[in-house]
Amino acid sequence: MDILFVQALLIAIVVGAASGAVGAFIILRRMALVGDALSHVALPGIALALMWSLDPFWMVLAFLLGAAVVVWFCERQTTLPAEAIVGLLFTASLAIGILTIPDHEILESLFGGFPKLPVSELIFILGAAIGITVLVFMLSRRMLFTIVSPELAKVNGGNALVGLIVLLIFATVVAIGIKLVGTLLMGALTIIPAAVAKNVSPSARSYIVLSTVFGAIIAGAGVAGAAWSGVLPGPTIVLVGIAAFLISLGFLGRRRAGQ
Amino acid sequence: MAEKLILRHSVFTFMNEPVLQVSGVSVVLDGESVLEDISFSVRKGEALAIIGPNGAGKSVLLKALLGLVPSQGSIMWAKGVHIGYVPQRFHPDRTIPLTVKEFLLFKSPAFWRPTKDFFAHLDHELSIVGLKKEILGHHVSDLSGGQFQRLMIAWAMTGHPDVLLFDEPTAGIDVGAEETIYSILHRLQKERGTTVLLVSHDLSIVYRYSQHVLCINKKMICHGAPEDVLTPGDLKRIYGETGFYHHHEDPTRTT
Repeated sequence: MDILFVQALLIAIVVGAASGAVGAFIILRRMALVGDALSHVALPGIALALMWSLDPFWMVLAFLLGAAVVVWFCERQTTLPAEAIVGLLFTASLAIGILTIPDHEILESLFGGFPKLPVSELIFILGAAIGITVLVFMLSRRMLFTIVSPELAKVNGGNALVGLIVLLIFATVVAIGIKLVGTLLMGALTIIPAAVAKNVSPSARSYIVLSTVFGAIIAGAGVAGAAWSGVLPGPTIVLVGIAAFLISLGFLGRRRAGQ
Repeated sequence: MAEKLILRHSVFTFMNEPVLQVSGVSVVLDGESVLEDISFSVRKGEALAIIGPNGAGKSVLLKALLGLVPSQGSIMWAKGVHIGYVPQRFHPDRTIPLTVKEFLLFKSPAFWRPTKDFFAHLDHELSIVGLKKEILGHHVSDLSGGQFQRLMIAWAMTGHPDVLLFDEPTAGIDVGAEETIYSILHRLQKERGTTVLLVSHDLSIVYRYSQHVLCINKKMICHGAPEDVLTPGDLKRIYGETGFYHHHEDPTRTT
């Protein structure tokens, strides 16, 4: 089997699971679009890395973590809706990215590809994705509680930083998935598994678990499909996800009728 | 901070175990003074009713006590006191697929693998508020107003808090259910010695269930036993010349 394919499949499965897990909370916090836009901040990071001949991965990670803090800060400190600020900041990132990234790199930056990675980076990506998934499960109770009622969570020893933690985790997931899926579509990989899981889950705990499982399956199937048909993995993953979403709508109808 | 701690210990040793001591508390929100110079104390096992017209700052006072809004002055809880809080009009988001069981699991550190003991405890708390076990599988957003309020009491009671803070526990509930909720609270207070702080509109409830009443209208108006302090003059000062309004007043009701 092609080594690039195996590498991509491994990354897809673990990054898909991590995106699914954190995506479950992104959807509940109604930050789907904020998250999607946030992933565009990776572009100026890629541009800068190419300009300085650095490995784009670390630059992307730094830009995304920085942007997560900015979003969180704006959400708390200003009276402008977060979406407005995020919209401004990230369309600007997209514009800067498009103008500064060389033409032959732009398609891969936007839509991903089958990445050729050094072993150290591959190990880092696999480890980070698994670590993030475990972390999300460990923080589930506190994150969910804060989303359901910030006040009650605070009285019961909750953490005001939950919003920031969700964003930082999300930023890391985007950074590790971006070479495979691309900046434009990475947001979709966090939104789609959670949306599918929400349609079929009877409870919050099953929703988080299923979102994680669907993330791994959708991303894995997308990479396999892309390799088989010789197309880009990013868009294929998104289309597989959309197909899963359409199937899940049938379950939603059945559950409603059964109630 | 050190001074405060020393003061707190000496106060608690000499007085009849106050659970909460509030002195000179003021709250300013968005440049507007919402509460001014509020002082009172609550002893262990006591039920204190907080009354006042709409906009008097009752809910803000509870939030200040919990540290949810910034305040000036001193708020001292007894050391190690465990507080349960039921906010006013809390409606869980319908888009979150949260079950009653999961909502109660927020109180357990083991969210993914709860222990049998925790469930035994839950069953007990649910039976006290008159909810059946089957309700654990329902979605929180599918409960009726009365069921939800009972659940909130069970939720607040889980883990046996020493103090319960209730912000209008019966807002939006029909009269029959309202009566039940007050008798549950009363029972808790008597059987477990739980201290209860209750915001209420309903003066008949205040007379029947609370040993002390605190009347506020942005400022302190009165504090003491209801029979002593709720004079017609006080009520005028609290609710204005038109007199107070009795919510759901029903003279035939008895406990």
